[in-house]
Amino acid sequence: MNTMVLGVGDLGACNSQDSEIKTYALGSCVAVILLDPKTRTVGMVHVALPESKINPAKVKERPGYFADTGIPILLQEMAKLGCQSQGKGLVVKLAGGAAIMDHNDTFNIGKRNLLAIKKILWGYSMGPRSEDVGGTFSRTVSVSVKTGEVILSSPGRPNWKI
Amino acid sequence: MSLLNNQTEIARAIEAAPLLSPVASQLLQISAKADHELKDIIDLVKCDSILTARLLKVVNSAAMGLRHQISSVEHAVNYLGERMVVSIAVAECTAELFSKPLDGYEGESGQLWKHELFTAIAARAVARHAKGDLPPDMAFTAGLLHDIGKAILSEFLQGTSRSVLADIVQGNTADYLTAEQSRLGLDHSIVGFELAKHWKLPEMLQQVIRHHHHPDQADSPSRVLAYAVHLGDILAMMSGNGTGSDSMQYHLKQDYTEYFNISKDELALLLLESTEEFNKVEASLAIAEEK
Repeated sequence: MNTMVLGVGDLGACNSQDSEIKTYALGSCVAVILLDPKTRTVGMVHVALPESKINPAKVKERPGYFADTGIPILLQEMAKLGCQSQGKGLVVKLAGGAAIMDHNDTFNIGKRNLLAIKKILWGYSMGPRSEDVGGTFSRTVSVSVKTGEVILSSPGRPNWKI
Repeated sequence: MSLLNNQTEIARAIEAAPLLSPVASQLLQISAKADHELKDIIDLVKCDSILTARLLKVVNSAAMGLRHQISSVEHAVNYLGERMVVSIAVAECTAELFSKPLDGYEGESGQLWKHELFTAIAARAVARHAKGDLPPDMAFTAGLLHDIGKAILSEFLQGTSRSVLADIVQGNTADYLTAEQSRLGLDHSIVGFELAKHWKLPEMLQQVIRHHHHPDQADSPSRVLAYAVHLGDILAMMSGNGTGSDSMQYHLKQDYTEYFNISKDELALLLLESTEEFNKVEASLAIAEEK
């Protein structure tokens, strides 16, 4: 099994059936996972912040860092692999967006990420089919290209699927 | 094992922990003072040939992208800045403690050092938003060893992660800190404080290590620093650089607003800038560790 590992702000798409895409330790960050059942293509972006306007210079270097730039570029990357599906033709799954206990609005970047992601997806007539978001724990996520299975793990917890 | 036995064993583990090197110890002493100068750091580095060699290796590495080679300690310290010098010195002599896997927290080898480093960088960034005067390099130094108690406590917590998390979810315990106390009679902030005393770290560092989850309880001269490290610690966990099963399982002290002005956008920028600097510093330190 080949593993494509995505760091913070990275994005990637893959249609090689013996591969998985993985990203580690999502705290307030959110993994947006797009699956195309027709071409068996999987894409993932590790979103750290909601809006690119706070640092436009970063967009060129790492568009996946922000929800508003990461999702459009991820769709382009999937199209390059022959994925023609759009809108409801793509299955969307979300994971991450955690927060510290007793957070205030300022420190709830996870929630702001999720809201921004859903707004962008809405613009493409897309919405999450399943999600494991919020809470007060970090998540590591991996997606099998062959099965589309999304497995989550977190230290001290048994693995689970969404 | 009873709580008393646990505490005796933990006290022995603190006594047996490797000591800081004299130069690292003095660097921490100097950088924890508000009124020091970079010259004090340079003079100290010059006394240690191994540290000098490490600094020159880092400053001349490809990651730094310099056009001309630097061969003097003065230039290297000036270019790298105090925080890099302190990080390299501390990383060098705490490698044994920091490199152990954090089994009690189901954390991996190296995770604790990454967490300390991210916290230090974020605390420094937070310091720039202080309502009063808070030297950023002091906040960095204060953050660098804040969780050192976990290196000792981890082995006494082995196999407890799942039950601790279940207790927190069920509301039986407030957070990971109180769960440590209920299981061992001590928590990582107390153990870190004891280790800091054993190492004879400056009083300010001892206070920050002791109170980084409850900065309101730090003594008055250290309180703002304790808050800066408290917020840096939280930013590290939000960035995914926690220490394992305890990540995010602590409370934000919302009265930080008495000491810092941070808007939503500023916090987002803090997280972005801290992540970028962390990636750069971590890459540079990895170069320093290559033998």
